[in-house]
Amino acid sequence: MNNQTDIILQTETLCKYYGSGDNLVKAVDHINLQIRQGEFVSIVGKSGSGKSTLLHMLGALDNPTSGKVFLDGENIASLKADALSTIRRRKIGFIFQSFNLIPALNIWENIVLPLGLDGKPLDEAFIEDIIATLGLAEKKRSLPNTLSGGQQQRCAIARAIAAKPSIILADEPTGNLDTKTGDEVMALLKTSAKKYGQTLVVITHNEEIAQMADRTIMLADGRIVSDGIPSVKNRETGEVTAHEQD
Amino acid sequence: MSKTNTISNLALQRLRYNKSRTLLTGIAILLTTMLLMAIGTVSVGIFNLNRQMASFTDYHAVFRDITPAQSAILRSHIQVEALTTAEVFADIENGKMNGALAYQEIVRDDRHTDEEGASPTLQVESGHYPEAEDEICSSPAFFRRVGAEPVIGGKATLSFRVDGKGKIQTKEFTISGLFPDEEVAEGLDDSRIMWSAQVSKVLLSQYEEAGLYQPKLSANLRVYGEDELTYDEMKERINAVAADIGLPEENVNLNTEYLRIMTDPGTETMMIAGVICLVVILFSALVIYSIYYVGVITDIQEIGKLKALGASRRQIAGMFYLQGAIVSAFSIPAGLLIGFLLPYFLFPLVLYATSTTALTLSYREAIDALNLHMFSLPVLFAVAAAVLITVCLSLQKPIRMAKRVSPVEAIRYQESTTDKKSRKGHHTVKVSTLTFANLTRNKRRTAVTILTMGLSCVLFICVSAVLSSVSAKDLARWNIAEGDFRISLDYSRNDKEYPENNLDSLVQKNYFNEAFLAQLSAIEGVKKIQPAHGIILSSSDTDYALYQNFDGEPIRSDLSYFTREDIPELNEYLIQGSIDYDRMTANREVLCTYEYSFTQNGLSIGDVLTLTLHDGDREIPFQTTLTALTQPETDFSILVMTEETWNELGLAYDPTTDIYLYVEDAQYDSVKEALKEIVSGNEHFTLYSMDEEMRISRASIALTIYPAYLLLALIAVIGFISLINTMITSIVTRKKELGILQAIGLSDRQLVNMLSGEGLVFTAGTLLISLTLGNLAGWLFYKWAKQAHFMGISRYHYPLWESIGLALVLLGGQLLITRFISRTMKKESLIERIRNQE
Repeated sequence: MNNQTDIILQTETLCKYYGSGDNLVKAVDHINLQIRQGEFVSIVGKSGSGKSTLLHMLGALDNPTSGKVFLDGENIASLKADALSTIRRRKIGFIFQSFNLIPALNIWENIVLPLGLDGKPLDEAFIEDIIATLGLAEKKRSLPNTLSGGQQQRCAIARAIAAKPSIILADEPTGNLDTKTGDEVMALLKTSAKKYGQTLVVITHNEEIAQMADRTIMLADGRIVSDGIPSVKNRETGEVTAHEQD
Repeated sequence: MSKTNTISNLALQRLRYNKSRTLLTGIAILLTTMLLMAIGTVSVGIFNLNRQMASFTDYHAVFRDITPAQSAILRSHIQVEALTTAEVFADIENGKMNGALAYQEIVRDDRHTDEEGASPTLQVESGHYPEAEDEICSSPAFFRRVGAEPVIGGKATLSFRVDGKGKIQTKEFTISGLFPDEEVAEGLDDSRIMWSAQVSKVLLSQYEEAGLYQPKLSANLRVYGEDELTYDEMKERINAVAADIGLPEENVNLNTEYLRIMTDPGTETMMIAGVICLVVILFSALVIYSIYYVGVITDIQEIGKLKALGASRRQIAGMFYLQGAIVSAFSIPAGLLIGFLLPYFLFPLVLYATSTTALTLSYREAIDALNLHMFSLPVLFAVAAAVLITVCLSLQKPIRMAKRVSPVEAIRYQESTTDKKSRKGHHTVKVSTLTFANLTRNKRRTAVTILTMGLSCVLFICVSAVLSSVSAKDLARWNIAEGDFRISLDYSRNDKEYPENNLDSLVQKNYFNEAFLAQLSAIEGVKKIQPAHGIILSSSDTDYALYQNFDGEPIRSDLSYFTREDIPELNEYLIQGSIDYDRMTANREVLCTYEYSFTQNGLSIGDVLTLTLHDGDREIPFQTTLTALTQPETDFSILVMTEETWNELGLAYDPTTDIYLYVEDAQYDSVKEALKEIVSGNEHFTLYSMDEEMRISRASIALTIYPAYLLLALIAVIGFISLINTMITSIVTRKKELGILQAIGLSDRQLVNMLSGEGLVFTAGTLLISLTLGNLAGWLFYKWAKQAHFMGISRYHYPLWESIGLALVLLGGQLLITRFISRTMKKESLIERIRNQE
């Protein structure tokens, strides 16, 4: 299965447990998942359903209790810390709910930071292009705390895209933004990912965002309860669900 | 729960939560308390020691050269409380032994009179004080030295010269009494020990009647009023008593040390201790302040939340004070206890260590006999109060900052503190970019940290500059100016009975002749022989006081020379006149190197001196002008001319009085044995050896230097705590940020490099400050110490090892701490770190 060429990210019986005995919490429980190159996947679920934990393991931020995570065919669950940090800066772009820019660096520096850490030469035209796309051209020298939330998140998106990673993982990227700004940012994120051919995995509570995705995975109690193209909001429960794909 | 309870509970919880910060504050307070308490305790100890030591010699003044008639007036003087007279009757002539026969008498002691009003008599350990003409008493060591058996009734035959002049007499004495024994420190040359024995009044009278002895007494005197009068009033009273018997003031030697201690309790000790304490307090306040300051910056959000929940400014302040109080409640008592116990056990050890190297046992016995009181309740309270005030003061600024935190701002607070909106930045971002961005983000904190650490290091370098200049070797060099050994010619100037002992006769014998030097060179291990100190005797027919003794009889005095190389030193200590080598040579001028002699003998600049120089059996007339007064560290004759003038004298005899020998280290001991052998063959030679001089010097500096180094170590520890605090806070407070950096690809190694880089900047800044300011301050401190003749400091020794040590400890410590903290941090998963504070 993992030798299918267009599968970029895949998990096999991925588990993450906390505690033991009566206090055992199965945050992620036997998840098998495949994500294709260029796909836009949204992950939905209630608080505590295991969305973030799953995303962190997909992004090599956290180690699974058991199971495998294949990124570009390589099982990253077995890699050491240094190799993982290389993977993170080369293949994965992260976007956090709380932006998490480095306050001491200006916008430009924040964006080129992953490249600098990797010692890669700058593709300046590419970075300028991203910055222009995300509307940050005027703000390159500003410090993060002088920017609005939307601007900061756009900067975070630029940072995630700058190293041309295969995958962008976003954890509630619009959670700290008002609806209008959130929509704008999400649209930019989607456009950019498409433009640069990147796979996008987004955790969200926002139904509209979920609906923008090619595919929606729904989690409950650490397990996938549905995986498919996003449906319209369930009129009775108000929840976004996913149609089962075959 | 009441309001107060909530706040105290909060304070307590915060202390628990910020464990490492609490611990650091605790240690800083503990060390401060300990340091102050130790200083206080040692001061009390020194004060007590001085008082007890002073009581061994409890006289107020010595009246020198008084006649029996004057002594009789003193005996009945109304203001005299006690009077002990002593007269040196004769010099002992026994090879190289330095010794005197003396007579001592308690003339009067109103403090210890018996029922009939009679004064006590002098006590011996066994037997009785000499009464009969042939009786003698001294310590058993003395009798062993002169080859007699130290038993009561035993016989001792001694040769002596009455008054140090006249014919050598030999007499058999009977031992009538023994003093407590003295243990002579082993390996010390005879010339370094002063022996004495007591004889009877009857013997002295015999010689006096025969016209062979003119009694000149020295009187140890106590006057009334010790407990009521000030130092100056006591001095005035003593001088008045001297005037009453017609004694000139220069014959009065005040027992200054004793008088000061008795009339002005411990002012000096207190002043020194006070200054040190002040420095310690200032310095600790800075460290404690910086810990709290960084703490507040770190906790701005939390404080903001508390305010948002309704905590008043007073409650916030109260919470901080309470935190300080809780930590103090543990640290101060612990500090007081350690600060007392440490010197309580160490101080006597240091005293004892110095006493074992001292010349004789008597000092050691004195130490043993001491019952040192080192505990003082006022000191304890003062220290506790001082530390509490220090803590309060250090809290002021951080509390003001905390009070000013507005709830809204604080919750949103992202540490940036610069008002800057933008940053020029770098085109690409490397690990070093991150490092510098972090440092410049909060310039003030960076500056406070570097300054705190810098100041502690400045203090460290400054103190070590002085301590490293306190050198046993420099002290030893007073007696052996160069090389490892000195053979010195023992000469008299004015011996009429035995003129062959005078320098002008000795030079004719040419003891330091080629053959003798060859003999020295032949000793295996001797590298170099350096003759030195050309000295010639001078006399004058004019009535200059310099060339007359107290009785107005003419005497001869040393005359020597200086070289061009000595000019800087001579100029440095110039008091009057001017020194110009060429002018002095052209005009055959001399300068005076001893201020006391200059004033005592009524000399003045411009005096023309008509002298006769005694070059062996030749007499050279020498007319000269006195053109300068200086008082250099180096030992010169009272009057010196230039080297060229000296050479122009065309001396017929070799004026060498000293020979310095350089030897191979490995053969030091065998050379010493050989030299002892050679020197023992000539009664005019004295051998000084470096090992003995070093022992004596070490003993004299140990008492000061060890406690000072202990103090230095504690300063270093407090400074180091400040370093640890900075590193921990700077890393812990950025836990999340560092987590994010790692999430976007910063590897562990890059993280450690980044943090180490930050630490290195702190270290570099600190070193820069301490090596510039510290060396400057150290140099000034040294100049002061030299001026004040502190511990015989005479040369500046750059504290090289201390500086290197400091740099290494800072560098190593900082790297270790960084590694340690980043390792501890890794125990938490990346996710936990990123979520931290969210």
